[in-house]
Amino acid sequence: MPSKEREAGSERERCVTGIEGLDHILNGGIPRGNTVLVSGSVGTGKTSICIEFLVRGALYGEGSLYLSVTEPTDKLLRNVIPFDFWDDKLVKQGKLQFVDLPRMYEKLGIDKDELSLEESRLLTDAIIGLVEEGHIRRLVLDSATSVAYRIKDPERIRDFLLRLGQSLSAKGCTSLLVAEIASHTDGYSRFGLEEAIADGVIVTGNLERRGDLLRTLQVVKMRGTQHSRAKYVLDLTTTGVLLVPLLKGGSVSGGA
Amino acid sequence: MSVSSDVNDKLQALPEASAIALRLRAEQYFDAIQGIVDLFAAKKDLDVVYVTTTVPAQSILNALEVLEIPLDHVWFVDCISQIMMSTEKRHPHVIQVESPTMLENIMLKVEFLLRKNEGRNALVVLDSINSLAIHNNTKILSEFLHILVNNLRARGAYTVIFSMQEYESDEIRNMLVLVSDETTEVA
Repeated sequence: MPSKEREAGSERERCVTGIEGLDHILNGGIPRGNTVLVSGSVGTGKTSICIEFLVRGALYGEGSLYLSVTEPTDKLLRNVIPFDFWDDKLVKQGKLQFVDLPRMYEKLGIDKDELSLEESRLLTDAIIGLVEEGHIRRLVLDSATSVAYRIKDPERIRDFLLRLGQSLSAKGCTSLLVAEIASHTDGYSRFGLEEAIADGVIVTGNLERRGDLLRTLQVVKMRGTQHSRAKYVLDLTTTGVLLVPLLKGGSVSGGA
Repeated sequence: MSVSSDVNDKLQALPEASAIALRLRAEQYFDAIQGIVDLFAAKKDLDVVYVTTTVPAQSILNALEVLEIPLDHVWFVDCISQIMMSTEKRHPHVIQVESPTMLENIMLKVEFLLRKNEGRNALVVLDSINSLAIHNNTKILSEFLHILVNNLRARGAYTVIFSMQEYESDEIRNMLVLVSDETTEVA
């Protein structure tokens, strides 16, 4: 078979994020079933990107699930950008679901500070149960870092992320795992494991240029698609997350 | 012929989605704005996205109000009030950009306003290349104009770039020739 046809034939189904700029960067969207790390320091837009990904998915008719670890859902929804395309019906109809992970811990009887291997596997199974039950095609775990803090042991973190990623992928569920990192750190996650296991890594950050602070986004890895690896500037607006290329003429030497 | 009529005639002669550099003198400034907003855009039923880096949006709004020009379809991206630490009350049709050096944010705000009014044809005014050149070097400014103008062209929007003749340099003239379909002088 000629190489071009082979390429076209092996093109993976895409999960269109609905964030126009990001879909353009990803050449059409995230390959369906990928587990993607959305990594960045505070205030860089990780949660807004994830929420838009889910709301757009629900609008496309895909079951979408947000697992909140650190912030209760009601507080999260109070603070989220009032998107023009938000529709309360999506939540009422169950197309868009929000689950607080601490409540899930309670239901599962997990009350210790550190999760054992069995408990972390129990948690994975419970998440997969929710995915099956709600016909979920898009999932966000905000944040994977908080869960990893509770698991503590690197081997068990690896096991949790691998099992979760593989199980979600097998269900055709595209997932975004939020990773919180300190600004000016090397690597894309707190434990250094998450980026190796994930199919994709999207990094958000702050770029200081002559005293101006710009929010940036860069896709550094995405299995299953060709993509831009350039840095973009983003804005969080009521029409959604907007992206434009970072102007190269203004790059700071050795800058972020 | 008045300045506003001259500007209107020049814009009317352009094909859709054109980018034009309008070279004008300081005393023609407000008449040129009137020609664009009141005559050209109103007749063509265009949304106007006015990017000001020269004077605060409120000053232009005040002038347009005096001239009794309807502002329903006029939106401002104000890149100068914030840097001036202005305490003026914000008009609902004005969006602030912190500084004229945040060129990417100017593009993002223009994009936001075009999306907000999706389905309507638009005209984007960049006022002015000379003010932007005070705050930015030529390299980044050329890159900004190149991307912005091409994006607007792809969306079918008109672009009008103001250039004040008194403050033009060879570099600015070359830049305008590079990014615009036409460079024209107001009579």
